[in-house]
Amino acid sequence: MTNVTKTNQRARQYSFFDAWWQHVRAAMAFSLKRLWFNPLSTWITLAAIAIALSLPAGLHLFLKNLQTLTDDKRQVPTVSLFLKQSVTAQQAEDRAALLSELNDIDKVVFVSKEDALKKFGEITGFGETLETLDDNPLPHVLVVTPNLTMTGEMDAQIRKLVRQLKNYPEVDSVQADIEWVQRLHAIILIAQRILYVVSALLLLTVLLVVGNTIRLDIENRKEEIDVTRFIGATRAYIRRPFIFGGLWYGLFGGIISLVIVHFALLFLLPPINRLSTLYGSHFTLSGLDFKMTFLILLISSLLGIVGAWLAVGQHLRKTEVVL
Amino acid sequence: MIEFTNVSKQYPTGQLALYNVNFAMQPGEMVFLTGHSGAGKSTLLKLIAMLERPSQGEIVVNGKAVNKLKNKHIPPFRRHIGMIFQNHHLLLDRSVFENVALPLKITGMHHRDIRRRVQAALDKVSLLNKQKENPMMLSVGEQQRVGIARAVVNKPTIILADEPTGNLDPELAQDIMYTFQQFNELGATVLIASHDQTLIESMNKRIIVLQKINP
Repeated sequence: MTNVTKTNQRARQYSFFDAWWQHVRAAMAFSLKRLWFNPLSTWITLAAIAIALSLPAGLHLFLKNLQTLTDDKRQVPTVSLFLKQSVTAQQAEDRAALLSELNDIDKVVFVSKEDALKKFGEITGFGETLETLDDNPLPHVLVVTPNLTMTGEMDAQIRKLVRQLKNYPEVDSVQADIEWVQRLHAIILIAQRILYVVSALLLLTVLLVVGNTIRLDIENRKEEIDVTRFIGATRAYIRRPFIFGGLWYGLFGGIISLVIVHFALLFLLPPINRLSTLYGSHFTLSGLDFKMTFLILLISSLLGIVGAWLAVGQHLRKTEVVL
Repeated sequence: MIEFTNVSKQYPTGQLALYNVNFAMQPGEMVFLTGHSGAGKSTLLKLIAMLERPSQGEIVVNGKAVNKLKNKHIPPFRRHIGMIFQNHHLLLDRSVFENVALPLKITGMHHRDIRRRVQAALDKVSLLNKQKENPMMLSVGEQQRVGIARAVVNKPTIILADEPTGNLDPELAQDIMYTFQQFNELGATVLIASHDQTLIESMNKRIIVLQKINP
């Protein structure tokens, strides 16, 4: 029995942390190696995870951009007064001066029909065509910035102002920019709910994809698991490489989804920029910030780990060693 | 070293594999376990390694009542037992070296120590020159010896073998039995289940016969 006691002494030389670190390193290397040597199944799984993740990430980005669009406008809500064709520039300017005296109004800018036509020509590039017109079809416009320093419903204030302005004889129609902003807000609210539902469903998909992939992996390695069990492996030891497998699937899937979102963004950027120039806006698409990138990778990694954990846990509970 | 007191094992299917088994083994003893197929030889070995739990009775291994062992204490307990099966149960996706190294990796041993121990174990079964090969490329006898190397690499106090020579021709079988005898002489308690009457009688060791039960 002498060699037996010697063994026990040797085994004790390894501290708990030492052994643990050896195990973790081995499990990490082993699980990576398995992914590497099954390229087809690995890539299919990663693609499924990446696509499932890129949809909510893309939707989030879309919504975030819509919100910045509306936030810009809300700071300076303006009301445009389109004046009747019969109104002269002088009359319009007089009206502007009078309006700017009102308490409710902060500022009035007069845009003459000539200025408007010139600007319209510049923006659209229809300048030459417009020169062929006999008459300027555009009306004079007064751009009114309401005074909203008073507390209370901005909405109601603006509506009251619009009603009031409509009553002036020179005014043909009134358009409050606030309206489309409000509509957009309502739409965004709906889109946000859709984002939550879609995200929940797709994150569940990621969980199931990882769980199922790991489950298949366990099926393929049943014998190995049984063998390691009868030579004294703990549950943690058996679980570890699978958990790391799940982590890699989640993490790499997350990284690929970020790449997908990034390229989709690059693809969308030129037409969006063109559209915003057409609207005379400086709006441009913004990408995922650092916080969001980190969050996506964190969530995808966690989903991978949880999926793997569920799959292994189920297997370990189900079976003792069968040889 | 190993002691069974009134041990019975009934599987959930209703099959009664062992009924009222009593025996004891001294430390360092080498014993053969025999009986007709279906007499419960495999079950008895599995009970010792806690691969199965007894339905009744008490099993003491190494001074511990293992039937009362909690689940979390089973893995460390199994590391003191080397098990060998009729089918070698080697992992075919890795080399002979890796297979033998597995029990040491489970204990978290360092690479350099693993190398030394694995090579020593392979040397004892005369397979040091095959350490880099895949188990699939080896003959059946060699595969069985790799299985033995894996079972003893941890220097277990108890070696259990279930029909270790079942697939081998008589000459190889004799060889394997001598290998077990060597480990026994080094201090391990060895229990071998076999139905090969002539072979086990030639070894001159104590023989336990399991009677077929007719409940």
